[in-house]
Amino acid sequence: MLAILVYPLILTVWTSVHPGHFTLQAYQELISSTLFLKVLRNTFEISISGTLVSLIVGYPVAMHLAAQPPSRRTAYLIMVMLPFWTSILVKSFALVAVFGNQGLVNQFLGLISGGQINLPMMFNRVGVILGMINFLLPFMILSILGSLLAQDRTLIVAAATMGAKPLRIFWKITLPLSLPGVMAGVLIDFTLSIGMYITPALLGGRQDMMVANLVDFYTRQTLDWPAASATSVVLLAISGMLVAMLGKVRSSGLTGAAA
Amino acid sequence: MNALSGSARLNARLIAMAAWACYVFLLLPSLIVIPISFGNSRQIEFPPREFSIALYRQFFSDQAWWGSMVQSLFVATTTTVLTLVLAVPAAYALVRSHLPANRLLRGLFMTPMLVPVIVLGLGLYLQFSSWSLLDTTSGLIFSHIMLTTPFVMVAVTSGLQHADRSLETVASIMGASRPVIFLRVLLPQLKTSIAVGALFAFLMSLDEVVVAYFVTGTRSMTLPVKMFSSIRWELTPVLAAVSTLLSLLSLLIAVGIITLQRKTEALS
Repeated sequence: MLAILVYPLILTVWTSVHPGHFTLQAYQELISSTLFLKVLRNTFEISISGTLVSLIVGYPVAMHLAAQPPSRRTAYLIMVMLPFWTSILVKSFALVAVFGNQGLVNQFLGLISGGQINLPMMFNRVGVILGMINFLLPFMILSILGSLLAQDRTLIVAAATMGAKPLRIFWKITLPLSLPGVMAGVLIDFTLSIGMYITPALLGGRQDMMVANLVDFYTRQTLDWPAASATSVVLLAISGMLVAMLGKVRSSGLTGAAA
Repeated sequence: MNALSGSARLNARLIAMAAWACYVFLLLPSLIVIPISFGNSRQIEFPPREFSIALYRQFFSDQAWWGSMVQSLFVATTTTVLTLVLAVPAAYALVRSHLPANRLLRGLFMTPMLVPVIVLGLGLYLQFSSWSLLDTTSGLIFSHIMLTTPFVMVAVTSGLQHADRSLETVASIMGASRPVIFLRVLLPQLKTSIAVGALFAFLMSLDEVVVAYFVTGTRSMTLPVKMFSSIRWELTPVLAAVSTLLSLLSLLIAVGIITLQRKTEALS
């Protein structure tokens, strides 16, 4: 049972070092390949910006949710959770329909500007990041919401009675106490985005290839299986490290809450 | 005091505005697909100029489209059944045995949730090409079982932790054999969590695209794979109809899962 789960992963590692005989050639070629380095840089750029944008956009949403009475919170939460259940393909298609060149937003912009403005928001970097945050936001929001709800509200009341301004309360109390949730959200989003395949393939341009797309490219276009395997081993190693970090944050967050 | 509450209210309003913008961004795209799907059949259009079901007719008259949907439903159903057969006894063994490696095993079962699917897809692709399982339905089902098993195990394990152990003891004292205990004492108690796991597995298999894209070909293509290549290469308006149908199905399954989970929470 366990064997079938882990077996394909082992086979991938094996193929990356053993195309006939044992060699690290595939890795050496990868490191000296400009394509690989460019794709790796893309991946980090896109993942970091996607994660940061979801943090900046997601935090106010989590605060809004945390401030609602429980019954109304459930209603709002459904809006956050619905995209969770929709297929990523439906979401990708929908985003093209809204943000594409003939999409809703550009139709509107064309209408108010008399056909002067048409923003290219799909099949480029903007498209990938839009698709990415659309996918990542629910994870970020739920993660931050968890740590906002766990906060002791009397702290805020106490600070307010003692004359602290809302902004000061936010910086001194709300934000620091929510950091475990923020960290977990950032790590989850980053892990998810780094292995993203569908979004860059459908919403990005040729310049926005990410590591997962490179794996596909090596496998199907150039039939270079050792290179494909080596690339995916690199991807696996990066996400492995991220998952380990996430585990650390989770356990320290729990002990922090217990103490 | 007045100024303070004033600025607090302003803050709250800013936050609410930001939050609503985000709700719209999350929801609007998926909702807008519905009116588009009832538009005309030549181009993607919003708001649609006329109401018609031409796109749905197009979907159901094109063998490539509805054939891939039938394939997807078949794969999802088979995957669900086989996953249950595999995961329910496995979860039982894991919960009831006192292996010291229990925690480690449980951890390992969770890994597929966080391993990038593309890595799994490549591994299966490499394996299937030597077993000549590429572009076969059985290969695809095999891959999907791998993906769904951990999730079903989680659902069933949590159900098992609520199951009453003394009932099993009583049954065994009264002479029931192990299989009888499993089938007639344990399974009825696990009904809801098995149902949750099954719905989850069905939905996952139905929506799964990356692994399916790697291991299928023209003969075994599923609906998500067909959608993927269609969005990539032609962007036909039929996609709006497909998306609406698929979302409706996902929504039904999601409602099912949430209702069942509520029920178990109310019981425990």
